[in-house]
Amino acid sequence: MLFAGIDLGSRTIKIVLIDGNGKDIVSSGAVDQGIKQSERADELFEKVLFYTGASRADVGKIVATGYGRNAISWADTTVTEITCQARGTRQGHPDARTIVDIGGQDSKVISLDKNGAVRDFVMNDRCASGTGRFIEIVAQRLERGIDEVGFMAARAVGASIISSMCAVFAESEIVGLLAAGEPPENIIAGVEKSIAKRVASMAGRKVEEPVIFTGGVALVPGMKEALAEAFESAITVAERPRLTAALGAALLAAGRSEIYAKNIK
Amino acid sequence: MGSCDSTAVQESPVAYFRRQVNNCFEYAGDGKAAGAKIVGIMCEYTPREIIMAAGGIPVCLCGGSREMIEPAETVLPANLCPLIKSTFGYSLLKKNPFLEMADLVVAETTCDGKKKMYELLSRERPMYILELPQKSDDADSFDRWVHELDKFRKELETRFKTDITSEKLKEAIRVMNRERKLKRELSALMKEDDPPLTGRDLLDMKSLISGMPEDMVQYEKALVALKGREPDATSGSRVRVLLTGVPLPHGAERVIDIIENNGGLVVCQENCTGLKPLLEDVENGSTDPIISIAEKYYHLPCSVMMNNTRRIDHLKELAREYRAECVIELIWQDCITYDVESGLVKKMAEEELDIPYLRIGTDYSPSDTGRIAVRVEALFETVKGR
Repeated sequence: MLFAGIDLGSRTIKIVLIDGNGKDIVSSGAVDQGIKQSERADELFEKVLFYTGASRADVGKIVATGYGRNAISWADTTVTEITCQARGTRQGHPDARTIVDIGGQDSKVISLDKNGAVRDFVMNDRCASGTGRFIEIVAQRLERGIDEVGFMAARAVGASIISSMCAVFAESEIVGLLAAGEPPENIIAGVEKSIAKRVASMAGRKVEEPVIFTGGVALVPGMKEALAEAFESAITVAERPRLTAALGAALLAAGRSEIYAKNIK
Repeated sequence: MGSCDSTAVQESPVAYFRRQVNNCFEYAGDGKAAGAKIVGIMCEYTPREIIMAAGGIPVCLCGGSREMIEPAETVLPANLCPLIKSTFGYSLLKKNPFLEMADLVVAETTCDGKKKMYELLSRERPMYILELPQKSDDADSFDRWVHELDKFRKELETRFKTDITSEKLKEAIRVMNRERKLKRELSALMKEDDPPLTGRDLLDMKSLISGMPEDMVQYEKALVALKGREPDATSGSRVRVLLTGVPLPHGAERVIDIIENNGGLVVCQENCTGLKPLLEDVENGSTDPIISIAEKYYHLPCSVMMNNTRRIDHLKELAREYRAECVIELIWQDCITYDVESGLVKKMAEEELDIPYLRIGTDYSPSDTGRIAVRVEALFETVKGR
C-alpha cells in the first residue's frame, strides 16, 4: 500500500509517494503551478506513479496541502502546510525545534515542542519581501536564471545594502545600484541578506535550536549562511527541502498522526 | 397592515436583527420627525445615557464598508486603520444616512488616528469631543473624566434646549442596564457545550441604536427561543475560540466568518462589538448619576488605556468561563495600540491559560482571506493535536 502527499504551493506543485511503512520515499516529483492546477497535479501524480509501476488503486490515501489544497477533488482530506511541514521535517530531523520555511510567495517560522508538535507559528502578511519571489525579481532584473543567482552570491565580495521594504520597489533600488557600478554578485548577496533579516524579524525573539531550513529557497546557495547570520543561530538545510510539506502530507495520509485521525473523524 | 403584522410575529429574532440597519433607519427617521435629536457616536466610551437623557437618539457611525476606503484615502493616509478610513469615507461621500441625519456627532480623544480624523471631520460636521484621560487607575484622571461628562451634560442642555435631570439620567441608566443585561445573557448562551447559535449569529444580534424598545422585545424573545433550541449537531466538534482585539463593525465580519467556516466556533468576543462594553453596568441609585456613568465607562478596557491590565484580567476570566481552546486576536492594520498590546495577550494565553494564540492583522479587503484561513486551520490542527 502506498500513501501520497500533494503540496499545491503558490509557485509549484510537489508530490511524494511513500510506502506503507511510512519510511521511504518511493517516488516524488515537482511541476510549476498553472491555471488548471488540478489537471497539473493530476498529470504529475500519474508521472510519479508511473516510476513506481503502481496504479492509483495501490494508493491507500491522499492528503493535499498548500494554498491549492482544496482544488484537488481526488484527495481524501486536506491538512494545512503548517502541520504538514512540521510532520515532514520531523521525519528527517526528529529533534527539530524550529522550522524556517521560505517558499515562492510566503515564508513561515514554526516552533515545535519537545514532542515535535506545532507550538506556534508566524507567517508573512501581504508582502513578498521575505520570500522566494524577491530572488526571482532580482534574477529577472539581472537577466540571470534563478539557479544561477545563488552561485553568484557566493562570489560576492560584499553585500549591497537593500533598504527598500518592498520587493517590487527594491527593483528600482537595484537599478540605481547597477547604475552606480555595484557588481551584480553583491546585489544578490544583499537581497539574500534582506530576505533573511525580514524572516528573522518576523520570528521575533530568538528561536530555539536546532533550526531546520525548508522550502525551495533553501536550495539557493548563500541563503543558509544569510539566515544563520540573521537568526544568530546554526541553520541546517532539510533533506530535500522542497518536498518536506508533501512528505509530511504523505506521512499524515499513512495515518501516523493523531491529528490526521481526528481530522477524518 | 394585517399581513405585515403576521410576518412580524413569525420572524425570528436573528432575522429581525439581520435587518437592523433598516430597523434603525426607520426608528431614527420617526424619532427625528417627532423632534428627537440624532446623535452620532463612534466609540464605546461615549456615555449613551447622557445623550438619551437629553432626548437624543445615539447612533453608532463606525464604518465597516471597504467601499469607503478608497475615497477616504484621497484625504487620509493609506497607513491608517480601516475603521477610521471607512467612517471618514462615509462622511466624504455623504453615504451614511445616520450621519446625514445627525444633529451632533460625539467622540472622544482615544487613539491618535481617530483624534486626527475627528479634527478633519469637525470641519464638516457639528462635533463635540470629550477628552478621555488615559491613566486607567489614577484618581485625578478619573476626576477629570467626571468633569468632562459634566461639561458634556451642560453642552447638551444648551444645544438641545433641555434639562438633563437626575430622573432622566436614572431612566436612561435603567434602559441601558437592561439592554446590557439582555445582551450579556445572550452571550452567555455560548458557554454551553453545544451553543444554540454561532458567534456570527450573536455578532449580528446588535443594533446601531441603543435603547430601541423593539430591540429589547427581540432580545427577550431570542433568549426564550434559543434556550430551548436543539444545538447544531456539528457545534460540539468545533474548536472553541475566544476572539479578542478590534471590533467588527457592520460589513466587516469577514474574519469571524473565516474562523467559523474553517472548523471554529467563536464562543466569546472580547471586543467593542462583543462583550467589552457589556462587562459592567452603571450603578443606578447613587446620589450623582454622572459619577456612576463615569465609572462604568472609564473602566472600559480599551488598548488606548495605560495600563490596560483590566483587559488581561477580563480575558483570563472570560477564557475560563467560556472554556476557550485558543485565542485569536484581530488587529486592524495600523491599529498601534492593540498591536503593541498583542504581545501581552499572547504571553498571557500561552503562559497563564496554556492555550495557543494567533494574531491576525488585516484590513477590510478580502485579498488575504486564503492566507488567514490557512493560519486559522493550522491553529485548529494544533489545538486538536494537543
